[in-house]
Amino acid sequence: MPKITIDARTIDVPKGTSVLEAAQLLGVYIPRYCYHPRLSVSGNCRMCLVEVEKAPKLLTACSTEAAEGMVVRTDSEKVKAARRDVLEFLLINHPLDCPICDQAGECGLQDYYMDYSRAKSRFPAEDKVLRQKRRALGPHLVLDNERCILCTRCVRFCSEVTKTSELEVMERGDHSFIDLKEGKALDNGYTLNIADLCPVGAWTSRDFRFKQRVWFLKKAPAVCLGCATGCLMEAHYNDNTIYRLVPRPNAETNTWLCDRGRMTYKAAAAGDRLSKGVIKNGLIDLEPALREAATRIDEAKDAAAVLGSPWLSVEDNAALALLAGGMKTENYCFDFKFETGIADGILVNKDPSPNAAGAARVKAASGGLNFEEFLARLSGGKIKLVLTEARAAGLLKDALKASGARLIVFANNRGEIPAGAYATLPYASYFETPGTFINYQGLERRTEPVVQAPEGVKPLWQVVNKLSAYSGASLRLDSAEDALKGLDKK
Amino acid sequence: MAFKLSAEFKAKADKLCAKYPRRDAALIPLLHEVQKEQGFVAEEAMDELAALLGLPYARVKAVVTFYTMFNRAPVGKYHLQVCRNISCHMAGAPGLLNRLRDKLGIAEGETTKDGLFTLSAVECLGACGAAPVMQVNEEYFEKLDEAKLDALLEDLKHGRLPGRAR
Repeated sequence: MPKITIDARTIDVPKGTSVLEAAQLLGVYIPRYCYHPRLSVSGNCRMCLVEVEKAPKLLTACSTEAAEGMVVRTDSEKVKAARRDVLEFLLINHPLDCPICDQAGECGLQDYYMDYSRAKSRFPAEDKVLRQKRRALGPHLVLDNERCILCTRCVRFCSEVTKTSELEVMERGDHSFIDLKEGKALDNGYTLNIADLCPVGAWTSRDFRFKQRVWFLKKAPAVCLGCATGCLMEAHYNDNTIYRLVPRPNAETNTWLCDRGRMTYKAAAAGDRLSKGVIKNGLIDLEPALREAATRIDEAKDAAAVLGSPWLSVEDNAALALLAGGMKTENYCFDFKFETGIADGILVNKDPSPNAAGAARVKAASGGLNFEEFLARLSGGKIKLVLTEARAAGLLKDALKASGARLIVFANNRGEIPAGAYATLPYASYFETPGTFINYQGLERRTEPVVQAPEGVKPLWQVVNKLSAYSGASLRLDSAEDALKGLDKK
Repeated sequence: MAFKLSAEFKAKADKLCAKYPRRDAALIPLLHEVQKEQGFVAEEAMDELAALLGLPYARVKAVVTFYTMFNRAPVGKYHLQVCRNISCHMAGAPGLLNRLRDKLGIAEGETTKDGLFTLSAVECLGACGAAPVMQVNEEYFEKLDEAKLDALLEDLKHGRLPGRAR
């Protein structure tokens, strides 16, 4: 455990800790461009220079290992002057793009310029070496090589995290730029992390570009429901609209976020978002839709069935379990067995649903059929009507078709509605209503509302509550927690 | 255009790779081999080499573009490379470059129509003591002046590359 002194404060750090990391432990921030905690140390940007006693010159904090008795200064005049000079070099060929640059407001160059430089440029604008301006590289990213400071975070991300090695620094000196094979797209499933990693405006997200200035964005914690991994993320929103999702790095699940997960916010504001009920193919107000659904459920009597969904929260599954109880049917199932585990070695799970473990919790409390039994009863004609969530209905696809049972589904978007559904009821997405999810490791994930649901759209437990009132199996739920409590009483 | 490294080349490559602790360390010597055979390093050759050495394509391309001695397009029979760094510059390299431009009717980076000459201005050739210097293919021609340059061009036009026998 080397003991190191940084800015007159001493700390014991594990062997192998860099000066930069040791400083971080003391709460001393050392500026950096190329250093990233989850990538290899490159030491090329020179922004993290610090003064080390007995060293003949300034050292890069990111690549210097903390040693016993080392005395470091991060705030001396010599250090500040060096940072100012490094920044001046980095800015020599940097274009004067800030007013039209999407990175403005969250740009490392702007931030450190304010901290260290504030000097008028000594290089005339017309002497700048020009490089290729914006071009789309792949489905998610735009690259502006002129803004690049060649920190190589993107290069290292592609070689170390995705292991696809598409990117490299081409050419030499002033002419260097980041590129990949001509005619190829940068599309490895994790590309948007590069837009986050890039400390300047070289890589920007095609999806987010020019949608919103970053200083207007508010931030709220969120959870990715794209698969069973349950990555923590942060939703950036303004004016009741989500503009982007970024990872909330944590030790348990994720440092990064996959491209598909980042796009999950789109469905909530998509053009086909349901705010009314659907009977067959016609839109209809929610109340009559609920009445119609309730009538059909009553009609089917004990041949009606409820299938929970691994795409719904624990609370909403609990509400469905209570409804099944109220309907006095034995045909209900909260049993979903997917193979779990990280499929691609990074984040994407083999289980495509976010809450199979949460549904299992409901099953433990309420019992119900195994999925195979449920399927057998459906195929055997014992089930005449199925009430479930749209994606869960997909699991029954063939059996539904063969048996001709009536299907009533809950859906967020019109595009989700399975073919042949008799009635569809809208519900609030988990960007709009709280919910508990349990990921493949058994970790509880709580979503909090970020934006408001479209007018008239209620959380699923409320829709279930109304449905129960219409069908005479009244549940009288006042909150999502009520559903959980009701389940415990069972 | 399908491009395949010959079996002969691959045998040579295996021998070269065996000299190094890691296979991919043979990249630069192999690029030299490719250039010796083809006169330049084509995109397809980079693909083939990447596959041969188990490197990503981008890595090979990065190395090829970093070193200016690798030609990325076919060059003329004689590649005239005039040093433009400080010693040669002070000893008259700009005059030599101008004369070559005029006599050959091409700019830097271009090749004459007859395919005989390609003209390049390059960074330091490491022969400052004998400035100004021009490299023709693998040969150095030192302490040049306009008269020597003209004589050299005449020789080259007649297919004679003075200096070390090749």
